[in-house]
Amino acid sequence: MITGLLLTMVIMAAQLPAGQGPVPVALSWPDYFGSRVFLPADNPLTEEGIQLGRRLFYEKALSVNRQMSCATCHQQAKAFTDGQRFSAGADGVLQPRNTMSLANLPWVRQLFWDGRAGSLEEQALTPLTAPHEMGQPLDVSAVGLRQIKGYPRLFRRAFGSDSITGERIVKALAQFERTLISANSRYDQYLQGKYRPSASESSGMALFYANTDTARGIRGAGCGHCHGGPKTYSDLFHNNGLDSLPPDGGRQQVTGQAYDKGRFRVATLRNIALTAPYMHDGRFPDLESVIDHYSEHIAHSETLSPFLQQPLRLTTQEKKDLLAFLQLLTDSTFITDPRFSNPFNHH
Amino acid sequence: MIKNCLITLLLITGMTAMAQQQPVVKVSGEVARPLALYPETLRQMKRATVSLKDRDGNDHAYTGVPVQVILEQAGVTTGKTLRGENLSKYLLVRCADGYEVLFSLAELDSSFTDRVVILADESGGQPLPAGKGPFRLVVPGEKKPARSSFQVTEMIIRFAKD
Ligand code: HEC
Ligand code: HEC
Repeated sequence: MITGLLLTMVIMAAQLPAGQGPVPVALSWPDYFGSRVFLPADNPLTEEGIQLGRRLFYEKALSVNRQMSCATCHQQAKAFTDGQRFSAGADGVLQPRNTMSLANLPWVRQLFWDGRAGSLEEQALTPLTAPHEMGQPLDVSAVGLRQIKGYPRLFRRAFGSDSITGERIVKALAQFERTLISANSRYDQYLQGKYRPSASESSGMALFYANTDTARGIRGAGCGHCHGGPKTYSDLFHNNGLDSLPPDGGRQQVTGQAYDKGRFRVATLRNIALTAPYMHDGRFPDLESVIDHYSEHIAHSETLSPFLQQPLRLTTQEKKDLLAFLQLLTDSTFITDPRFSNPFNHH
Repeated sequence: MIKNCLITLLLITGMTAMAQQQPVVKVSGEVARPLALYPETLRQMKRATVSLKDRDGNDHAYTGVPVQVILEQAGVTTGKTLRGENLSKYLLVRCADGYEVLFSLAELDSSFTDRVVILADESGGQPLPAGKGPFRLVVPGEKKPARSSFQVTEMIIRFAKD
């Protein structure tokens, strides 16, 4: 629904004569996502900016060895992850944390597992320049792009002049990333009255959102408390009981506060069945292990979230139901959407 | 802008290397004086004790600084100046885990209400327990304790501009 229109506009924009000025784009999303989006005023979305950003996302010339792009680690078919526990950077060294999936980023205010980046513009600097990621200073990347046919024109169309700068590179990337909206899973179709969930999916959904209330005979897994409403995301940091002595301080490394030890950003559950392995250190190979973790392996510590103090002890059937609900969050149109695909494959 | 980001990154990296930080509540936004409230700052301010019911209906006493006192110290429009367009101002309270709750300024002002909302740092003469402290909000008299939020890190005052 969002998509058809955007696509048409991209095609139309491509045929506009130069000098016409970039065409503004308004994102759209289902009402139940809410409008708590973070869109910086100094980088408005435009057709041309998004188009350039998509190209840059897949551009290997932005890496020191010319073999790596953002899409090496963030692959569309896997909801912008790569299936690895830790991805190797351009220098072959493994990342310290698991690659995050990219979806519905306008709702994320603090990026990375520990929330250390305040915007997508700021975030993009890290993978572009970190030695164990793409490893190339921005000014070197800018010089490199100037030498590649087509880029001066693309930058002119997106930003009004030929000048290729690091700032424009990250702005275009951020614009493209903001369009990665996943809102067409079977769960969305259910919310829009277009899909009837199976009995197991319905029970899983109820378990996901409910808290156990023995007095009233309600069984719940309380996942929604942290993972949010229909967006299955909320902008929070928690210690979800992975370790009693967390080897990675997580949020504490950013704030320096003892109470943040072992806290990480609550990850989106959109497309979760496609983004194994799980958690900031990729310790769980599948969703069954994740559910077992919440059900019976929560590690206690001073900073363990108050919402995970009571063991859940889910039954085998309840685990199956929860899994069925998580699988409902897969959005097959998102991972095949041509607007997000590699533009270099079409030449 | 990029330069600013780089500087921020450097600062963050610097902080990582730094040992533990003092806990603090920052007060910012529509204020005459931004504040950084450390444990010893709160101990030196005018204090109050209020009571809050727990889930089982039992009362617990909490001590700390009334939010109005904090707002006055920051030069926010309170009391006689809380009128006209200032009535469309709000306080956003942010916690360490990212949780946020909101109050209109009039809800917190003694010229509008007898209820005293405090930023508490002790209960029964003890510091607050690890999961809830060092600073929490205590909002007496609400049916749900959801605004009595834990581990407060920021208080932001703004105009509602819609
Ligand atoms: C070598 C693999 C690798 C490459 C290349 C890479 N990333 Fe990442 N990406 C990661 C990892 C690992 C994380 C999580 C890092 C962390 O939290 O410390 C991440 C996190 C992110 C996030 C944060 C998502 C969130 O929800 O907070 C965004 C956005 C992102 N990457 C975008 C990009 C962009 C844009 C590029 C290209 C400029 C890129 N990445 C290149 C591995 C990679
Ligand atoms: C107290 C808050 C909280 C609750 C309750 C909670 N989670 Fe999480 N969840 C998190 C946090 C925080 C992370 C990221 C932790 C990390 O990587 O260190 C996470 C990660 C996950 C992941 C992995 C995401 C990824 O991309 O690797 C899955 C899957 C998940 N949770 C499912 C669930 C399910 C199912 C439930 C209910 C049984 C649940 N969660 C309950 C906070 C919570």
